[in-house]
Amino acid sequence: MSHSLDAYLALSSLLFCTGMFGFLARRNAIAMLMSIELMLNAVNLAIVAFGAFTPRLTVHASVIALMVIAVAAAEATVGLAIVIAIFRNRRTPLVDEYDTMRE
Amino acid sequence: MSNEALVLAILVLPIAGFALTAVFGRRLGDRSWAISVGAILLTWAAGMVVVFGQLTGGFGPDGLHFTLYTWIPAGTFQLDANFAVDNLTAALLIVVTTIGMLVHVYSIGYMAHDPGKWRFFAYLNFFMFSMLLLVLAGNFLLLFVAWELVGLSSYLLIGFWYRRRSAALAAKKAFLVNRVGDVGFSIGIWAIWTTVGSLNFSDVFTKLPHMLASGQIQSWQITGIALLLFCGAVGKSAQFPLHVWLPDAMEGPTPVSALIHAATMVNAGVYMVARANPIFSHAPAAMVIVAAVGIFTALLAATIALTQTDIKRVLAYSTLSQLGYMFASLGVGAYAAAIFHLMTHGFFKGLLFLDSGSVIHGVHDEQDMNRMGGLWRKMPITHATMLIASIAISGIPPLAGFFSKDEILGASFRNGFYVVWLIGAVVAALTAFYMFRLMGKTFYGPSHVSPDVHPHESPPTMWVPLVLLAIPAALLGLAIGWPPDSGLVHQWLDPVFAQADQTLGVPHEAFQVFGIDGALLLVSVALATVGLVASVRLFGLRLPGRDVEPKPAVVEAASARLRPLYVASFHKWWFDDLYHGLFYVIGGVVARAAWWFDGHVVDGVVNGVGTLTVFSGREVRRIQTGRVQNYALGIAIGLLVMAASLLVITAR
Repeated sequence: MSHSLDAYLALSSLLFCTGMFGFLARRNAIAMLMSIELMLNAVNLAIVAFGAFTPRLTVHASVIALMVIAVAAAEATVGLAIVIAIFRNRRTPLVDEYDTMRE
Repeated sequence: MSNEALVLAILVLPIAGFALTAVFGRRLGDRSWAISVGAILLTWAAGMVVVFGQLTGGFGPDGLHFTLYTWIPAGTFQLDANFAVDNLTAALLIVVTTIGMLVHVYSIGYMAHDPGKWRFFAYLNFFMFSMLLLVLAGNFLLLFVAWELVGLSSYLLIGFWYRRRSAALAAKKAFLVNRVGDVGFSIGIWAIWTTVGSLNFSDVFTKLPHMLASGQIQSWQITGIALLLFCGAVGKSAQFPLHVWLPDAMEGPTPVSALIHAATMVNAGVYMVARANPIFSHAPAAMVIVAAVGIFTALLAATIALTQTDIKRVLAYSTLSQLGYMFASLGVGAYAAAIFHLMTHGFFKGLLFLDSGSVIHGVHDEQDMNRMGGLWRKMPITHATMLIASIAISGIPPLAGFFSKDEILGASFRNGFYVVWLIGAVVAALTAFYMFRLMGKTFYGPSHVSPDVHPHESPPTMWVPLVLLAIPAALLGLAIGWPPDSGLVHQWLDPVFAQADQTLGVPHEAFQVFGIDGALLLVSVALATVGLVASVRLFGLRLPGRDVEPKPAVVEAASARLRPLYVASFHKWWFDDLYHGLFYVIGGVVARAAWWFDGHVVDGVVNGVGTLTVFSGREVRRIQTGRVQNYALGIAIGLLVMAASLLVITAR
């Protein structure tokens, strides 16, 4: 375990940027959901890092991180369900073809 | 049955008759008159009971006042649907129910061949309801509602033969001209509310003198209110300058002319002014205007009536003229005389119209007097009753018109309105003249009836009402107007107007047979006789044992010598043309300009706003691509901007 908060934060932002890039650039809905997971976990990493380096926040950080994990799981479930439902209708996982809402 | 229920029955019966006839009338076919005539007979009976109860003092000294329900509960503005019966109401009830009932009966015969007669009878019942509501109303707003309802039924009945263009136009004209007066009336009601704070007749009339005395109301406000109310009366009672609708209203069926446009509705203005006598008596300036407008209309209409050839138009102008008398009477402070004349006029003018209807019916829908003549032998009952009515309206004693007209003239002289008296006396002569011109041209002169028309007497349903109306037309004046100025009608009405007489300071002297009153009476009778004799000389008369041959050549010569006057009278002093120019031509230009402004400027702005919204919406829509990643990019950029600005702000 490193003794520098900066290292954790750097890793976290790297992960977040990777996730964001994936979310913006990938056209596949599944890949986009994975990117969202990446971003959530980047945030989680930042939270537990803050918690670890600030004793006053340790307990709070752990609780928040657990909560984020739970929400992320729920989000992944619902997201996947939606993607599958759309896939059954449209026969494609590519989000830029999901443009019925435009009109 | 309680008194209140009886009064309500007067209102409920005609409106129920209207509803039933409107719903079932068409199915009843030829018997569609049954419901409505039955309803009006019952109304008449109820009305007579109420009249009798009131006039014999059965309802107490103040009459019958009761509230049915709270009509408008709106904060401080509270108004009840309340009704008032006093002697003035009773006098009007006599006229309205009796003539209404007889006209209903008469219409059975007159409208027998009209396929739409169920509609006619429904409208007639509706009119009766409206008119009775007008008479019974206990506050100004209810009066106004009834006022508009009679206007509506008048519109419906003038335009009864709506396929005839002239009838439709006349109905429209009547409605629109009345609106002009009603604007003033409604503003007047509003003014009463804002100044006095009540609309109930009894409240307003008791509060008004106190508020005037304590300075809460200025006298100019009362004058204003009186003039605004008078505006409404001018419209409804067809006084100058709103007199133009009434002659055109003769496009309606003749019973309608008799009932609405001669005997009842046009009296509404007179009734309203008489009802508001406490207001008018505190506004002497307004009274002078009322008298001036009235007597001017009397003269104007009488001069027009001299030359008209349509039998109903002569009678219409005669109605205008007599209504002018009534307003003159109100204006000089002789309220009771005005109501007296209203009653007698209602009967003899109703009779004259029904007679003219009988004549028109007899010569197969011909109204031009130049195509009549010599009918006296063929229509004896019509002739006899019409002769009685003509003598009555001419003011020859002892028939009804003499008493009421003479009271008006006498009162105007005694109250110092000498000009009103002078013009009134001249108009009396003119009245006798044009009435006997009408009689001569219709009944006595050489026959100009087209050869394939065989004039005949009308059926009993028509002539029985004529005979029944001829009785009051002949005797009503003697019955309630004798002795002069203290007859029965004065015993009824003087208590109602006592307050007003006191305010005006009208001297209440006994009638002097061998004094000024007797002299005035002689003068007016002499003038009427002169008019009558002159007319008989020119247009003929045939009575058993006395024949006067008409002299058409003399008439020709006289009208040729007085050419400008003749033409002016024949063209009704060009009032219709003046109004046509003012309101149709010039008003049309203004209306078209307003239309253009509305179409191009107002609509332009509205449409412009709409177009702008549509356009901007179409352009801005492109931002919404429907692709989730575009939105996500937006979110990301927004996040970056927010984070960056946070950094920038906190770093400072």
